[in-house]
Amino acid sequence: MRSLRIGLLLGLRQIQRASIWTTSLIIFVMMLTFLNLIAVSGILVGLIEGAEKAVRESALGDIVITELDGEDHILETESFIREIEAYPEIDTYSVRFSGSATLEANYKERRNLQNERDIAAVRVSGIDPHQEDTMTGLSDLVIEGEYLNPDEEGFILIGIYYIEEYAQQFGDVFESVAGVKPGDTVRLTLGDVSKEFVVKGLVQSKVDEVNLSTFIPEREFRRLFNRLDRNADQIVIRTVNPEDNAKIAASMEASGLTQFAKILTFEENLPKFLIDIKNTFNVLGTFIGSIGIVVASITIFIIIFINALSRRRHIGILKGIGIERQVIEIAYVAQAAFYALTGSFLGALLTYGFLVPYFDQNPIQFPFSDGILSADPEGTFYKFVILFVITLIAGFVPAWMIAKQNTLNAILGRK
Amino acid sequence: MPIIIAQNIHRTFGKEPLLTHVLRGVDITVEPGEFVAIMGKSGAGKSTFMYQLSVLDTPSSGHLIVDGTDVMSLSERERTTFRLNTLGYVFQDYALVPDLSARENVMMPLLMRGDYWQTATEKADAAIDSVGLEGKYQNLPAELSGGEQQRVAIARAIASAPKIIFADEPTANLDSISSKQVIDLLSDLNHTTGQTIVMVTHEREYALGANRILYMEDGVIVQEENLRPVHS
Ligand SMILES: Nc1ncnc2c1ncn2[C@@H]1O[C@H](COP(=O)(O)OP(=O)(O)OP(=O)(O)O)[C@@H](O)[C@H]1O
Ligand SMILES: [Mg+2]
Repeated sequence: MRSLRIGLLLGLRQIQRASIWTTSLIIFVMMLTFLNLIAVSGILVGLIEGAEKAVRESALGDIVITELDGEDHILETESFIREIEAYPEIDTYSVRFSGSATLEANYKERRNLQNERDIAAVRVSGIDPHQEDTMTGLSDLVIEGEYLNPDEEGFILIGIYYIEEYAQQFGDVFESVAGVKPGDTVRLTLGDVSKEFVVKGLVQSKVDEVNLSTFIPEREFRRLFNRLDRNADQIVIRTVNPEDNAKIAASMEASGLTQFAKILTFEENLPKFLIDIKNTFNVLGTFIGSIGIVVASITIFIIIFINALSRRRHIGILKGIGIERQVIEIAYVAQAAFYALTGSFLGALLTYGFLVPYFDQNPIQFPFSDGILSADPEGTFYKFVILFVITLIAGFVPAWMIAKQNTLNAILGRK
Repeated sequence: MPIIIAQNIHRTFGKEPLLTHVLRGVDITVEPGEFVAIMGKSGAGKSTFMYQLSVLDTPSSGHLIVDGTDVMSLSERERTTFRLNTLGYVFQDYALVPDLSARENVMMPLLMRGDYWQTATEKADAAIDSVGLEGKYQNLPAELSGGEQQRVAIARAIASAPKIIFADEPTANLDSISSKQVIDLLSDLNHTTGQTIVMVTHEREYALGANRILYMEDGVIVQEENLRPVHS
């Protein structure tokens, strides 16, 4: 207790008397270390979270309803929807039908029937254009042509991965058709049923589900796919408060809706690999950050070591007049703590006061994600604690090394 | 009972064949309240002897009792506590902590002894006043002259009223006026508080205020000069 008081006094005075430039430099190094620790993994994780956010906003919503295991579709879809309508916590939803078909283009220009046909196996989504747009803002994703008009029939939207010119930019790993523009006529074939559609627009999204889909109004879908029971394949729901989705899903389950369909929150519906990648990125980022910790702890070690070495005589004299060794150790640990605290504080201020809001406003543009800076306070605090403890050790070790030296030798400057 | 009893103190450094035998069997007894001056040529072993008596070093052999304690049997930690509670030091080159003000330097041993901040401050200021440095409490060592720094060092040594004060050539780096002040301070202290003082000096003039002068040569005491008895 006594030692603590005197140690803190000594440490405080040393900081006060130190050159402002040295102190600033050390704090700056600590701040960079902190940022390195937070930001590297934050951007890596943010990349995935940005992708998740995009999927949530423009594809899956907060709650996803799908068919039960062993069923082909959601049962009693219409009553199911009526139930959903009764929830005030539900903001909006979209009912989707989906199936696979063959998309064929350029068949009218094909003079020679021996030539290869321009076809692609595609996923077809049957949607209510207005409902889907309110839910996911699909109309904003149209990059050529226009969005589906609910009052028209015979029009289709095509995701860009099915268009050769675009698909090539993304590696062309999907089947695609060439040179299709809005206004062109294409044909969807399913078994021996075929229907012609005029291309209304092309859609592009950060989310592959959209790029790898074609969209037609649900009415036409049901006719084409012969789905007379009106049972849908997927209902995506946006809740008023996205964080409440688990609660709402639970209450839907409690009301017995699970006999018709599987109810999953967005999080439950996330593919496991995405969670794995996120965790891996976090570990990777922390690993990269910990190199920074090593550098910072060596910096602190050297600074404290030089400082203590240059005061070796005074340390000896203090011990000579009866001041315990711990006091000296506390004085230096206190200095290290000061550097770590101030540096981390500034780093946290910069992270939460500037970087996080900045990246939210100006996401880094990745092909599959709007990268944000993800820094959840708990993880940040945890990393701060690691940085802090390591800094304390880096301050303690040199102080201990010098304080344990023989008192008289230290006073006389011997050896 | 004597406050210091040293018998047949030897101190050697290094190992054969490079062994240096610095103290070769020194005996001394110091009475409470006595002012002892040690003189002798450079290299005679005065400082080395002083370090033994003041529990900063440990004799290679011999017996040493300080204030009734067999200091040779103490652990490192106990020695530190013993120095804190019983001994005061004035080193040749002031030895103040440069980051601390005069007051804080003097407060160090007081706080270590467990004094409250307020009490320590008051005692420190009183000690600084008593060495004639009223108003210089806040000065850093670098803002004081050599003589003033040495007086702060004396204030630090006396603030906690130790039983024995050791001073190794306290005037070596001072001009004659400052030296005189420092020596007067020490003998005043000896007279007023009855604290025991052991001082090494090269100047006979400064040694004359003592009760007794010991002359060292080649690691032994070769002569003793009794100037005046210890008034008790
Ligand atoms: N740690 C040591 N190792 C080896 N020799 C030492 C050591 N300490 C002191 N000596 C030797 O002991 C002798 C006495 O040294 P000491 O410092 O006690 O002399 P002194 O009488 O105080 O001299 P001065 O008047 O110059 O201060 C010297 O020859 C010195 O070289
Ligand atoms: Mg000497």
